[in-house]
Amino acid sequence: MLLNAPSVEYLIEAFRRLPGVGKKTAERYALHLLSAPPELAEDFALAVTTARARVRLCSQCRNLAETDPCPVCDDPRRDHGLLCVVEQPVGAMAIEKGGAYRGVYHVLHGVLSPLENVGPEELCMDKLLRRLDGGAIREVIIATNATAEGEATALYLSRVMTAKGVQVTRIAHGVPMGGGLEYADDATLAHALHGRKPL
Amino acid sequence: MRLTRVVCRTFRRLADVDFAPVPGVNIVSGENAQGKTSLLEAVLYAATTKSHRTAQETELATHGGEGFHLRIEAERGGRAVDIEVNWWRGEKRFKINGVPQTRLSDILGRINVVLFVPDDAALVKGAASVRRRFLDMELSQISPPYLTALQQYRQALRQRNELLRAVNPAGDMIDLWDVQLAQYGRLLCEARAAFVEELSSIAGPIYAGIAGGEPMAAAYEPDVKAGDDIAAALLRCRAADLRQRVTTRGPHRDDLEIIIDGQPARSFGSQGQQKTAVLAMKLAEVELVRRRTGEVPVLMLDEVLAELDPHRARRLFESIPPGTQVLATTTRPELPAGVGGPEPALHRIQGGILERA
Repeated sequence: MLLNAPSVEYLIEAFRRLPGVGKKTAERYALHLLSAPPELAEDFALAVTTARARVRLCSQCRNLAETDPCPVCDDPRRDHGLLCVVEQPVGAMAIEKGGAYRGVYHVLHGVLSPLENVGPEELCMDKLLRRLDGGAIREVIIATNATAEGEATALYLSRVMTAKGVQVTRIAHGVPMGGGLEYADDATLAHALHGRKPL
Repeated sequence: MRLTRVVCRTFRRLADVDFAPVPGVNIVSGENAQGKTSLLEAVLYAATTKSHRTAQETELATHGGEGFHLRIEAERGGRAVDIEVNWWRGEKRFKINGVPQTRLSDILGRINVVLFVPDDAALVKGAASVRRRFLDMELSQISPPYLTALQQYRQALRQRNELLRAVNPAGDMIDLWDVQLAQYGRLLCEARAAFVEELSSIAGPIYAGIAGGEPMAAAYEPDVKAGDDIAAALLRCRAADLRQRVTTRGPHRDDLEIIIDGQPARSFGSQGQQKTAVLAMKLAEVELVRRRTGEVPVLMLDEVLAELDPHRARRLFESIPPGTQVLATTTRPELPAGVGGPEPALHRIQGGILERA
């Protein structure tokens, strides 16, 4: 790479720490920022520091937000009796984009994984369970991923929450809407067939 | 299914091979260490993403070089399919018909191959893990849902074992993984039981044909017996698991018993019986893959003639289902009469260079 330019090396290393960015991509990003007009780099740096300074976790749902409570938790038109549990903020974003969900969220920021030393405490499960104490929540939808860890987390939540008398449901896994069956992978199709519904 | 072209660049001993096998029987002869096995290994690697000789892919590049390239072309149900592999400094890229692939399940089963190597005798006399790997590899090739269940089972098992290694793991946390082990484990057991039963019903007659009427069968031996509940078994062994800090029961402890003339071949079979039993299983696999996919897989036989007498060798080739493409290697310059059918295509390999003999 560039010789005798430690600041460039440092910038490349900084990009490499991001998920999904490899060596080549990091080099491209860094060199682009350095060869484009300085405003681009300045805007970029400002965007990162501003967002980082303003965004924190909502004290209710632990989603990323600029306000506390977040706009979703603060919206009286949303159904506060319906709670959807997701692994990461990106899960809540995906469901929000769908536009069909009118309930509220809870973000775990992870899943149960003994291999990574993540247990119920690391996921602040007590905080989630305290939300159920008021009795305002009728149903909890568990939308963790269909991985071994996501399923274990869903099972854990359903056990502790059912004990509290709340109805717990799991989102269905299956064939994408508007897509041909041939585009679904085999495991998803098998799952979709298994979870079929009477018409 | 038949291979039409095999290209290997800097793969093991093969510097630059461009091999066009014929539809029927192909015999590749050459002395030891000339690249015969490497050729079969290249086809296996491209078709299954795995080598039978090593898990260290750096060993596959010639003399510890930086990369290798493979391309296998085949005809499947009248349509062309090709798999291209580029391995460069630890990064591997697979393309099918020019399209990059990232999921193992999308690569497996596109070109079906069945490989027999002399080491496969371990399938009879080796550790149970060898037989489990055989079951898992075969079932993963013919059943994508099996591969998914296997991956989920293994991950849940890793998590449960990690939990068991912790100080005072909570019982209710172990329960969570038990549920998944039971759920996916049941799928694995059902698929394995059905596979072994079918395999045995095909391999038995093949074995008898090669070995002059002697009966042979394969029996699935699940660690948790059929009818017993895996979840219940896990619960029963919980105390032992906590003491030993590992999951002691479950489908990851399954085995497969091969029985010749009423006796377990592992302890009572002769070398010849064991080798013939494994060959019969491999030939049965060819038929089984044909039943499941409608395509006859390519049969690759490495050094199969080395330990078989001419009679058994001839009967072996007679019992290969008609229409099967065969790639067989041998150190013998001349074949015993009748081996390889009326007109086997003879190829010779020397110093990594392959040519039609």
